Amino acid sequence: MSPQACASAGQIELALHLFLQYREQMRKGEYLGNFDLMLLLALMRLGEDAYGVTIAQELEEQTGREVVIASVYATLERLQERRLVAARLGEATPERGGRAKRYFRITGAGLREVRDARRSLMNLWKGLPELKGEEA
Amino acid sequence: MTTNQPPRIATWMLKHFGSGLNNDVVLGDLVEQYRQNGNAMWYWRQTMKAIPVSFFRDIRGHKWAAARAVLTGWVLWILYVTTIFPLITPYFFGGNWGVELDPRHPVGTAWSILSAPVGLQAAMNLHFSFLFGVGLPLIVWAMCGWLVSAAANLRIFRVKNGNPAERKLSLRYGHEKQTGVILLFAGSTLLFSLLTSGMFIHQLQQQVHAPSTAWLNSFVGHLAASVAASILGILVGGGLLRERSSRA
Repeated sequence: MSPQACASAGQIELALHLFLQYREQMRKGEYLGNFDLMLLLALMRLGEDAYGVTIAQELEEQTGREVVIASVYATLERLQERRLVAARLGEATPERGGRAKRYFRITGAGLREVRDARRSLMNLWKGLPELKGEEA
Repeated sequence: MTTNQPPRIATWMLKHFGSGLNNDVVLGDLVEQYRQNGNAMWYWRQTMKAIPVSFFRDIRGHKWAAARAVLTGWVLWILYVTTIFPLITPYFFGGNWGVELDPRHPVGTAWSILSAPVGLQAAMNLHFSFLFGVGLPLIVWAMCGWLVSAAANLRIFRVKNGNPAERKLSLRYGHEKQTGVILLFAGSTLLFSLLTSGMFIHQLQQQVHAPSTAWLNSFVGHLAASVAASILGILVGGGLLRERSSRA
């Protein structure tokens, strides 16, 4: 086998190892997904007034895409299980057909996850020629 | 023109088929936003997406409870067609017939199990009994649906103040888990019914002495009524069509 072939085999092996490691960590729920991160950032921006409608509006405003409110709750429930988000039940109002609001806030652990994700992403973004000249 | 009330059918569907703890809160959010934008299409889109999103989230969160509950439903139906059938058929048709499980022909056996109330009458060339083909399955599937919802809420927990090894069975009637499980059970019944019936009808048409179109149409009609009754029975028995108060 030529040295080039050996090198590429090694690279493939390394890439496969990293991919499997990443999959394993994703399975364990150690990394934040794109939507998870967007939701946590929206919670930070909204502060005390973060509930389904305001979160969906904030995300739509910032991303320009329609957000399915049920997906917001499904993701928040998952983040709540990981203790990255805390929830409290709000008041029932007539404009909601007498149904209560559920307010969400980011926890200390959630804030740490966001900081870690930001640091990792910034490191990955650094020095990429394809992204030069674009705003991060 | 916009009205203050969101589309009623969409609201009804989400209220009854939406799963999870936050279903009522989601509904409240949708109503609130609808009153701001007045867009009925948006409301429909959101509710129709909310049902599968909450369903998959619910099932993913309670995989074992869902598997156990659906298995309970299927075992009950199989018991009905294999053991109760021969006991009740004499009252309808004079002879005691049941369904035989044949592992060598899994598709044929699955079809026989699912469509037994109609398939049996067709195979014996009997005058179609609506009570036997549609009425009874409605009641039996409703009982299966009820037991599936009970099985979904069956919890085994460790007793805190006592022997730590002691485990106790507890029946808890919360609605949060049962919606997804009942939908899964109804969906699996519908899917298997459509698949096996489709295969069976295709086989019938391929036969040298294929049945007449009139016979086939009547058979398909009876089969469709029986499948519809089974799904309706599961939903009624599982409590999904019951009017509920807010549960946020």
